[in-house]
Amino acid sequence: MQVDASEDKPLLWALREDLGLLGSKYGCGIAQCGACSVLINGVSTPSCVTPIGDVTGASVVTVEGLAAADGKLSVVQQAWIDEQVPQCGFCQPGFLIAVMALLEQTSQPTDAEIDEAVTNICRCGTYPRIRRAIHRAASARPQD
Amino acid sequence: MACFLSRRSFLLTGAAMGGTAMVAAMAGAGYLAAVDMDGPDGFVADDRAVLNAFVTLHDDGRVVVQVPRTEMGQGIHTGLAMLVAEELDIPFDDRISVEHPVEQLAVYANYSGPLRTRPENMHGPLMWTAKRVLSLLPLMNTAGSTSTMGLWFPLRSAGAAARHMLLTAGATRLGVPAEEVTTSGGFVHHAGSGRRIAYGELAREAALVPPPRDPALKPASAWRVIGRSQTRVDIPAKVRGEPVFGADVVLPGMLHAAIRQPPVFGAGITRVRNESEVRAQPGVLDVAVIEGRGVAVVAGSWWQAELAATRLDIDWAATEAELINSAMLASALQAALHGGEAHVHLEQGEVEPAFRPGAAQVVEATYTAPFVAHACMEPMNATVLIRGDGTAEAWCSSQSPLSMRWGVNRGAGWAGVDPSSVTCHVTMAGGAFGRRSEVDVVAQAAFLAARHRGRPVKLMWSREEDIGRGVFRSHAGARLRAALGPDGLPAAYDALVAAQALQQSALRRNLPLDIGGSPNGDRFTAEGLDKSYYAFPGRRVRSRHVPSHVPIGFWRSNGYSFNTFFAESFLDKCALAADQDPLSYRRALLRDSPRHLAVLNRMAALAGWGVPMSPGRGRGIAIEAAYESVVAQVAEVTVATDGEIRVDRVICVIDVGTVVNPDAVIAQTEGGILFGVTTALMSAITLDAGSVMESNFHDFPMQRLADAPDIVVEIIPSDLPPGGAGEPGIVPVAAAIANAIHAATGRRFRSLPLAVTETTGERRTRSVLRDHAA
Ligand code: FES
Ligand code: FES
Repeated sequence: MQVDASEDKPLLWALREDLGLLGSKYGCGIAQCGACSVLINGVSTPSCVTPIGDVTGASVVTVEGLAAADGKLSVVQQAWIDEQVPQCGFCQPGFLIAVMALLEQTSQPTDAEIDEAVTNICRCGTYPRIRRAIHRAASARPQD
Repeated sequence: MACFLSRRSFLLTGAAMGGTAMVAAMAGAGYLAAVDMDGPDGFVADDRAVLNAFVTLHDDGRVVVQVPRTEMGQGIHTGLAMLVAEELDIPFDDRISVEHPVEQLAVYANYSGPLRTRPENMHGPLMWTAKRVLSLLPLMNTAGSTSTMGLWFPLRSAGAAARHMLLTAGATRLGVPAEEVTTSGGFVHHAGSGRRIAYGELAREAALVPPPRDPALKPASAWRVIGRSQTRVDIPAKVRGEPVFGADVVLPGMLHAAIRQPPVFGAGITRVRNESEVRAQPGVLDVAVIEGRGVAVVAGSWWQAELAATRLDIDWAATEAELINSAMLASALQAALHGGEAHVHLEQGEVEPAFRPGAAQVVEATYTAPFVAHACMEPMNATVLIRGDGTAEAWCSSQSPLSMRWGVNRGAGWAGVDPSSVTCHVTMAGGAFGRRSEVDVVAQAAFLAARHRGRPVKLMWSREEDIGRGVFRSHAGARLRAALGPDGLPAAYDALVAAQALQQSALRRNLPLDIGGSPNGDRFTAEGLDKSYYAFPGRRVRSRHVPSHVPIGFWRSNGYSFNTFFAESFLDKCALAADQDPLSYRRALLRDSPRHLAVLNRMAALAGWGVPMSPGRGRGIAIEAAYESVVAQVAEVTVATDGEIRVDRVICVIDVGTVVNPDAVIAQTEGGILFGVTTALMSAITLDAGSVMESNFHDFPMQRLADAPDIVVEIIPSDLPPGGAGEPGIVPVAAAIANAIHAATGRRFRSLPLAVTETTGERRTRSVLRDHAA
């Protein structure tokens, strides 16, 4: 995809305003909350502080890209439904991205590894369900 | 005179206050007469049949439930739609969807919030008049844990009325007496002939059947939906990143705005020093001073607007408030605890005599809590369009379409525009917690929209504006005394709380007229302090209002959030002074309150109260009755030798009366507990030179996944009508933690937050008890 905007425009705002991808959220703008997280070459990254100039040629995946092209949910999204995780849901795209990145790296994460990797903020307090959903997704994913 | 008025005409006569009584007398005659909940008559349009204000049926059998409450994470769209499904006698599956209505009908009013009772229990002329006023506005806000409480009866009635209409239509179509048909699975059946017709096929005829008066509701024994966890209707979209929050509203030709508001509340704006420089920034179309309340930059994108706003050089007007800092506010609070006229909320039995010198063992302590912010995950925003013809439209993740309408009128008024009509679209809300009842951001957006007529303007506050320029829960302090009798239990309990009154501050700011009333005796200041369920022979609750320049707003559980910390910490202190176990002490005090005692006992069993813990660990207990629910919690903490405190586990038992969607009650309670843990350990808004010092999540931090305790929630079955579930969860947390810290360390912390937050890495913090903090 191509975006015609100044190089220092944060990726978050290029996604939201230039590409119409509204799933990634603005929550703080200072890399604190993770609501804006996207996968950049597989790494969960706060897009609010990532200038688009830095991602030229990189692969960027937003929450809209987690389901398969035919709409089938990813294992992580399905686990989120099975555990009824979201409350308001505003933080959830960022959590889903952080967890996708974690499970790519560590297929069966321990609680400590989850704590280390998933540092987003959820004001509604969905953390207990997020932890359960991560374990559920980990055990549902095809093992290599 | 009134005989020609149909029920419909009542709905359209909102402005004719003089004629209200007469019209309304007629309006009570329909199918929901018991609660004066008439809506429009049924009608047919395109492929759908509107059976009543809440239920729309499509030809293909889909049911759309109009839920006039904001979905802000609490699962209310699901819970209220379940009530309709139950009475319509259909399973809760994907044939059901939910819409937030755009029309502001009288039937959608929230009576339970302001009148503090259920619509079905509202009798007498005073209630009748109050309801009329609320339904004429109509006030349809989502607040005070009232949604299920207030719509429990109306929505079941709407579902039952729709079912009755379908039965009648089905019997007519089949040519059989109405008594011979029944419903199940979305069909009307005639057992005699074995014939059946799907609801969808009957929809158009059913819509024209006269609605029944007071349709019978299913007995609890027949429920198949209510009381069984149903998956939430909003969640599938939320895992795909699809829901449209206010911040996601996109309209053709839309402009974006960012804002800077005075750092000192109430300070005006003298001038913008560099307006032409900011106007020259990329994409900028306008720089506007909004009625002395802020300076907005309007641009083609929010990013451009916000970037340009960072360059604004504004002269804020001087005010006396710029001398105020947290220390001064704290001393004002202390002064109020030690002198001045107090409002007496409650006085029962003998109080002063019990405290005569030498009469009893007296326990006394003082507690404080700071100002705190809401920090909803979705920053404040609103989108407003004012057309050339004078009509206006607004989109907002608001808790109150009425606030939206008032906001549009007010903001447009600042620009000299008087909208001829205001259409309000309530979007999904990214958290609300009371914050989204305010008119502020809507009014600001409307002012900008009035300057750019014909183009929608979306104004969004940055996180820094949200935390640093917000409205807050008041700070508060309390002085509590108890005179212990020979059994060690309080013979008299005397509570004095000082805080800035919420109601006057919020009403003055938000209502179109100044009817804020007196700040003295504000019920939100004192709520949670009376401990009415404890058997105290003497009891007094008093409050003092402590004014300041800080705006106070509704905040999840309001006064309960500090008063329960005060009173339940104090109860523990009394128990220990009497040399009694905090659980047995409370049990003894609950001897006349079986509902509360059952909750407490179940919680003690679940938490393994009394099982010894290793050194440095402790367990604390707290209980409160709020929003017609009863909630008790045990917190388990570990305090390290360097003062680091972790809340390991919170065990919670809650009685919310009849439960509609158990999993949603559990989720709300879990969320409330985490909200409470963050607040108890981490949250404080401080002021210096009149301005808020905190600005974003680095200095107004939150618990994260790594910090979050394990949580166990159990619901006590009950056949009382449903109570509130959104707020009770937060209420006992702070006291349970403080009591656990005392059990672990022998030290009693009487000020919130209990800890200071130290940053230990990127997005990593730890909480250290105040007396250890560097
Ligand atoms: S918006 Fe990017 S981390 Fe919060
Ligand atoms: S679900 Fe609301 S902030 Fe996480």
